[in-house]
Amino acid sequence: MKKRLLALTMVVAMAASLVAGCGNSSKKEEDTTGSTELPEVSLTMWGSENDQEILREMADAFIEKYADQATITITLDVESESTCKDTILTDVEAAADVFAFADDQLNELVQAGALQEVTLNADTVISDNGGEDSGSVQAASYDGKLYAYPMTADNGYFMYYDSSVFTEEDVKTLDGMIAAAKAAGKTIAMDLANGWYLYSFFQGAGLELTLNDDGVTNTCTWNATDTDPTGVEVAQAILDAVADGVFVSLGDTDIVSGIQAGTVCAAVSGTWNSTTISEAWGDNYAATKLPTYTVDGEQVQMSSYAGYKLVGVNAYSDNVGYAMLLAQWITNYDNQVYRFEQKGYGPSNVEAASSDAVAANPAIAALSLQSAYATVQRVGGNFWDPAATLGQILANGNPDGTDLQELLDTAVSGIEAAVE
Amino acid sequence: MKIINFFIEIIKGIIFGFRDMIFGVGKLFAAIGRFIFEFGKAFKNGDWKVKLSVLFMGFGHFTRHEIIKGILIQIYQIVMLYLISFVGFPYLAKFNTLGTVEREVTFDLATMKNIENDYDNSFLILLFSIITILAILALVFTWMKNVIRCKELMDMEKEGKHINSFREDLRSLLNEKFHVTLLSLPIIGIITFNVVPLCVLIAVAFTNYDKRHLTPTHLFTWVGFDNFKRIFTSSITSTFGYSFRKILVWTLVWAVVATFTTYFGGIFLAMFINNKDTKLKKLWRTVFVVSMAVPQFVSLLLVKNMFKNQGIVNTLCAKVGITELLYKIHLIPTENYIPFLTNANWAKFTIIMINIWVGIPYLMMIATGILMNIPSDIQESARIDGATKFQAFRKITMPYILNVTAPYLVTSFVGNINNFNVIFLLTDDVYVTTDQKLANSSAREVDLLITWLYRLTQDESNYKMASVIGILVFIICTFFTLIAFKRVTSTEREETFQ
Repeated sequence: MKKRLLALTMVVAMAASLVAGCGNSSKKEEDTTGSTELPEVSLTMWGSENDQEILREMADAFIEKYADQATITITLDVESESTCKDTILTDVEAAADVFAFADDQLNELVQAGALQEVTLNADTVISDNGGEDSGSVQAASYDGKLYAYPMTADNGYFMYYDSSVFTEEDVKTLDGMIAAAKAAGKTIAMDLANGWYLYSFFQGAGLELTLNDDGVTNTCTWNATDTDPTGVEVAQAILDAVADGVFVSLGDTDIVSGIQAGTVCAAVSGTWNSTTISEAWGDNYAATKLPTYTVDGEQVQMSSYAGYKLVGVNAYSDNVGYAMLLAQWITNYDNQVYRFEQKGYGPSNVEAASSDAVAANPAIAALSLQSAYATVQRVGGNFWDPAATLGQILANGNPDGTDLQELLDTAVSGIEAAVE
Repeated sequence: MKIINFFIEIIKGIIFGFRDMIFGVGKLFAAIGRFIFEFGKAFKNGDWKVKLSVLFMGFGHFTRHEIIKGILIQIYQIVMLYLISFVGFPYLAKFNTLGTVEREVTFDLATMKNIENDYDNSFLILLFSIITILAILALVFTWMKNVIRCKELMDMEKEGKHINSFREDLRSLLNEKFHVTLLSLPIIGIITFNVVPLCVLIAVAFTNYDKRHLTPTHLFTWVGFDNFKRIFTSSITSTFGYSFRKILVWTLVWAVVATFTTYFGGIFLAMFINNKDTKLKKLWRTVFVVSMAVPQFVSLLLVKNMFKNQGIVNTLCAKVGITELLYKIHLIPTENYIPFLTNANWAKFTIIMINIWVGIPYLMMIATGILMNIPSDIQESARIDGATKFQAFRKITMPYILNVTAPYLVTSFVGNINNFNVIFLLTDDVYVTTDQKLANSSAREVDLLITWLYRLTQDESNYKMASVIGILVFIICTFFTLIAFKRVTSTEREETFQ
C-alpha cells in the first residue's frame, strides 16, 4: 500500500510537473503571436457538490462577459470546501485555478504558497465586503494582505432549537435548556470532540487561543491558573454540563439524524444544516445565538468562530489574471444575492447582507446575533488533534479521573508544540 | 513440549534468517568484486579494439562482425551521456543542498499572468537526482559489461568460433534467451514503480520535508538522522516515540490475531460445509462467496454506519437490553450506547470481529479446494484403524492444510500489518483518541503504522516522519517475510503428515 501510494504520488508529481512545464512554454508562444487573435484561457474551478449547477451558470455568464477579451473555457470539478486544503497541499500545481474553501484553511494555504495574493481590484473587494475591519475581509487576509475573495459569511455556528420544547427564556442559558430538555426526555447535541466547537467555551470565558507571528504555531492559555475563571473551572463547567447525559457530544451527521429521529431537540450547528432541520421541525423550527453557561456559579456567554467561505486563486495558475477575475465574479454582489435566493447562503457582501430577505431567514438571523460574540479563526494546524482529544475526554466525563489541570496542560503542550 | 518446540523453531528461524541475510550481502559484494576483476582482466588482455571500446562502447562489436549491435550500443552510450549530463546533471549538481532559490512572483497586468523567477523545486531535484544516479550506475555497469563482452568476441574470433549476426541474436531472444525477453518488462516495471519511489522514500526520511517546507513554494534540505531520533524518543511536546511504540505493539497484535482468526475460521467453516452430513452444500458456499463479491469498501462503510453510537446495532442492543446488561457489569462507560467504534478497547474488538466476517469467506474458498484434494485413502485407513474424527483432523487434515497454506499464512500476516482498508474505513471520522500523548503526534489507539503514515501525509503533510515510518514498516515486513518464508516453505517437512 505504502509503496503503491508513494509510487502513485511520484508519478502524479512527475506528470504534473511535465504538464506544467509544457503549459508554460506553449502559453508563451501564444502571447507572441496572439496580438490580433483572442488569447485562449482555460480555467478549472472547484466547488462543493451542491453548488455545481449554480457555479456552472455563473461561469457561463463570466465567459460571456469577457468574450471580447479572451476565449475562455471553464471546467468544473467537485471538491468539498472543508477538504480543499488537504487536496491542494498534496499537489499545488495540479490543483484548480479557482477554488472555494472554508476560512480556517487560509493560513495554511498561504503558508504553503498556494494562494495568489489578490493583486487585481483588491480595493473593490475589500470595500464591497465592509472595509478592512470587517470580519470577512480579515478572514480573507493574512499579514495585512488580501489572499481570497469572501463568498459567504454563514459558516459559523449557533443554536438550533425545537420551540415546542424550549421557551425563549430557556434558550438564554445552557442550564435552562438542559432542564427543559430533561423534562422532555430529549437531548441537546454539540460536537464537543472537535476543537472548532470546543473553542466556544474557553474563548467565552476569556481564555485565549491565538496564532503566533510565524503563522504556524499557537499560543494557548486554556490551562491558565491566574485568570478568572481559570482553565480548570471552564473544564469543570463542561464536565458539569455533560454530567446529566442531556447535553451530549455528537458529530455533524449524527446531529442531523438525531433531529430527524426526534431524539435531539436542540443542537449547535451551522447554516449548512438549516434546510434539513427546518424540514424536520416544521413550525417549531427556531434558531438563536449560543446560550450562556455556568462557570463557578457565574453565567458566561459562549463565544464561537465566525466562519466564512472564501474563494481563492491558485498561485501556480497559468492564467492568474483571469482566475482572479473569475473569483471576483462569482463572489460579486449579484452572484451573492443569487446564491442566497437559490441556496439560502448568507452573503458576505454588506449590501447583499442588508436586504430584508436575508434578515428574515432564522438561521442567518441567529448567526448575526451570535456574531457579536464570534471571532475570526486564526489557528495553527497543531490545534486540532489535541483539542479534539480534550473535547472527547470531557464529553466522556473524564472517565479516568485525570487531574483537570494536568489534562489541560497536556492538551496545551500539544496545541503549542512546534510543527515538526 | 510441543509449545517449547514451536518457540525453538521460531528462534532458530530468526537466527538462520539473519545468517542467510548476512551471507546474502556477502555474496552480493563478492559478485561485485568478481565482476570488477573480470573487467580489469578483459581490459588488460584485450587488443586495441577492446581497449578502444572503453571510450566508444560497441567498438569491439562493430569491428568484429556485429555491426548493427555495435551501432546500437554506441547510440545508447551517446543518448545516456547526453541525458545524464544535460538533463540529469543540473539536478544532481544541487543534490547536496536540494536547492537554494525560493519562488518569487510578480503579477503582470499586461499579460494577466504571473512572472516567476527560475526557482528550485527540492522534490524534483531529489527525484531527478536519484534517477540520474541510477542511470549512471546502469551506464557504468553496461560499459564494463561491454568491455568484457568485446574481450569475449576477441577470443571467439581467435578460436574461429561462429559470431552471431544481428538477425541470429534477435532470434535467440525467442529461443535460448527467451527468459531475457520474458523478464525484461517486469524488471523495468519494478525499477520504475518500486525501486525509484523506494529510493526517494528513503531519501525523504533524511530531509525536513514537512508542512513548513512544502514544495514547490518552499525548499527542504538534508537533516541527517534527526527524524529517526524523533521516532524513538519522546518529550512533552514531541510524542512520536511514545506513539510509535504503542502503535507498533497494536499493529503486531492485530496482524497475529487477524491472521489466525480468519485462517482457522475459514478452515472450520470449509470443514463444516464439506461435512458429508451437511445439506445444500452449494447454497452455503454461495452465500458466503456473495459476501466476498461485495466490494470491501462498500461493506465496510455500511458496517461503520451500523456500528455508530447512534447506529442501528446500538438501537437494537438498547431495545433488547444488552446495553443495560453491559453497563451493569461495567463493560461500557455509559448506559446510552455501546461505544463499538469510539472506545479504544471496544473499537479494537469490533474491528477484529468485522475483519473475521470480511476475511473468512476468502479462506473458506482456499480451504475448500484443499480439503477436496486430501487423498481419501489416508482418511479411510485412519478410520479403519479406529481414529476418531478429531484425531483424523489433528493428524491428517490440519497438517495437510497447514503445509499447503503456509506461504499464504506468511503473506497474509504481512498483508495484515499493512491492512489499511479495514482499519481506515471503519475508524476514519468516527474514532477520536482519548490519549493526549497520541493526539499530540496525530496518532490514535486503533491506528496501524500504515494508517498513521497515511494521516501524517494526507492531513498533516508530514512527509519526513511518514517516510521514517515507511522505512520501519518496510524493515518489519521484510524481516518477517524473509524469515518466515525461509522456514515455512522449506520442503523437508513435506512428508511429515503421512
